Amino acid sequence: MNKVFLLLAVMIALVIASCTNEPEQTVIPASKATVRFSALWEGQPFEMQQVYTDAFGNRLRADGFLNFISLITLVKDDGSEVLIKDYALVNFYNANEITAEVPAGKYTTLKFGIGVPRDRNKDQDPAQYPSSSVLSVAGSQGMFWVWNTGYIFAKFEGKCDTTGTDGAELLTPIAIHAGDDASYREFVSQSFSIDLTGISKTFDVKLNVDQIFSPVNGNDVNIALQAITHTSTNPDLATNFMDNYLAALTFVP
Amino acid sequence: MRIVAFFVLFFGLIGCRESVQPTLVDKPVEVRRPQSFPPFEFPADNRPTALRIQLGRQLFYDTRLSSSNAIHCGSCHVLSAAFTDGRATSPGIAGIAGRRNAPTLANVAWMKRFMMEGGVPTLETQALAPLHDSLEMGTNMMRAVHRLNEDGDLKALAKAAYGRDSIDPFVVTRALACFQRTFVSGDSRYDRFLLGQKDQINEHELRGRDLFFSERTQCGSCHGGVFFTDMEYHNIGLYAVYSDEGKARATHLPGDVGKFKTPTLRNIQLTSPYMHDGSIASLEEVIAFYNRGGEPHINRDVRVRALQLSKQECDDLLAFLMTLTDWNFVQQKDLLPLER
Ligand code: HEC
Ligand code: HEC
Repeated sequence: MNKVFLLLAVMIALVIASCTNEPEQTVIPASKATVRFSALWEGQPFEMQQVYTDAFGNRLRADGFLNFISLITLVKDDGSEVLIKDYALVNFYNANEITAEVPAGKYTTLKFGIGVPRDRNKDQDPAQYPSSSVLSVAGSQGMFWVWNTGYIFAKFEGKCDTTGTDGAELLTPIAIHAGDDASYREFVSQSFSIDLTGISKTFDVKLNVDQIFSPVNGNDVNIALQAITHTSTNPDLATNFMDNYLAALTFVP
Repeated sequence: MRIVAFFVLFFGLIGCRESVQPTLVDKPVEVRRPQSFPPFEFPADNRPTALRIQLGRQLFYDTRLSSSNAIHCGSCHVLSAAFTDGRATSPGIAGIAGRRNAPTLANVAWMKRFMMEGGVPTLETQALAPLHDSLEMGTNMMRAVHRLNEDGDLKALAKAAYGRDSIDPFVVTRALACFQRTFVSGDSRYDRFLLGQKDQINEHELRGRDLFFSERTQCGSCHGGVFFTDMEYHNIGLYAVYSDEGKARATHLPGDVGKFKTPTLRNIQLTSPYMHDGSIASLEEVIAFYNRGGEPHINRDVRVRALQLSKQECDDLLAFLMTLTDWNFVQQKDLLPLER
């Protein structure tokens, strides 16, 4: 019994000690950064199931559009980097917001990767991650290959009609599954100067989906010619898609 | 203090009464290994225990792992055929959409990488692949796990084996791999011969052995070592134009087109038809193929060329290949479904 009392006494002492150590600080509001991803088609919100006509005159509809975005980072004016989020699955059409508290100070650049970086992509075991992780079997929502390990960086699925017939039913499947280390792209914003000390700020990243399916960025992603790739089955389409994707991102700080 | 002890005892008893099953007690096991095989290091998170192997065995033959509820691993990997299925290609397997021949799983524990292009690094991760009929995975494994978790007995087994509260992808992939690592086959007549039982092999077979390992045929330079594979990737000129590009699927390199992992030749007599697509029906025809020297292909390995083997020499080679069958392995009861 004596031992029990001794233990109790020690515990009470500890509690008291921890109470008196409480720092007396004036509260500065936290600095918060939100990165918001959204998709547009010719300036309007890009919607699933809605039929759009692309620059080549193809009519298309998206049924799903999922993307891995990684290492979302803000760079401070002293060059140091602040990680907002390591890996995220972003579907773009429900404006996706990722928020983190950041140290006070001036920031100059936003950057992130499209895809999963090399050291986490190949030869990984998704069953080893807890299901709360987007890299896990459950969390990745099928954005993973298994015959040759690696994540699918961007998955655009839908239907199209490339015959140019008005009102024709969309019957041709679109399945663009871009991945593999070579498909990884890094977005780096133009530089800005924003002091985040004590404020909350939203950074808007917009993907102009219409520009992916158009020749404006120099690479044809013409679904009349090819609309299906699992990357290995059609590496060119995957490469062009990712190049156009990167070029179709706009960011206004 | 006594009161506390009483409560512990009391709740402990209630706890016991609630579980109808006998408590599952796990213990580590040694996986038997033929003398000539190199030691094998099990992964740290998946050392073999009796219950892990039992769970893997149950899952291997569990149709709840397939979306149709109709097939299990053992549908395409049949023990009596050294874990192959006798069909040229197996329908509906991840990424290959029925274009590939089911390979043997004998001695998978020692294989370095998995699948014919070697894209998969571990036996654990390989187990994710067959659960999916299309090129990608994810949802099917989650559906399978959901169904398995409705089975209380299986859940209890999983908990005792891996200490996790539910059956999740980790448990499924680990248990399947653990069971597969018990597929050890090293007791063929040729193995016994090498251990000193000279009467296991006749002269005809010995001539075949010498040919197999000769400079002339070079068979042994690719199908060498205790597993009769160098675990490397080669183009043997099976086709002038490959519709399945093999290793190039993973690497996109033109130099890898038509390269496939060298298959083991253990139990080769039982694993027909042959080649990645099951396109060659018999061993006689395989030998005839090598004798002709393969189709012209820019990536064809120089060791595959017209051999000018006589009819007798072809027969000798065939006789040697037949000595590589391990009849005890394919009758091993503890590799079959558990009888209930
Ligand atoms: C529909 C038939 C089918 C089913 C069902 C099936 N497999 Fe396979 N398995 C194959 C084929 C075909 C391959 C060859 C794939 C390749 O290399 O691209 C293969 C390859 C493998 C390999 C790789 C072997 C090596 O040496 O690279 C392992 C291990 C394996 N399967 C285990 C399993 C397990 C475990 C299951 C159950 C979860 C399973 N298989 C279910 C047909 C099947
Ligand atoms: C350059 C390396 C190389 C040489 C030399 C070679 N093989 Fe092969 N062998 C392979 C590869 C790789 C495959 C699989 C090819 C495929 O599926 O496209 C294979 C397939 C086989 C198969 C079918 C195995 C199965 O499970 O489907 C047999 C049998 C075989 N070889 C026997 C021989 C014999 C006998 C010789 C000598 C005459 C020989 N090999 C020479 C690399 C080689």
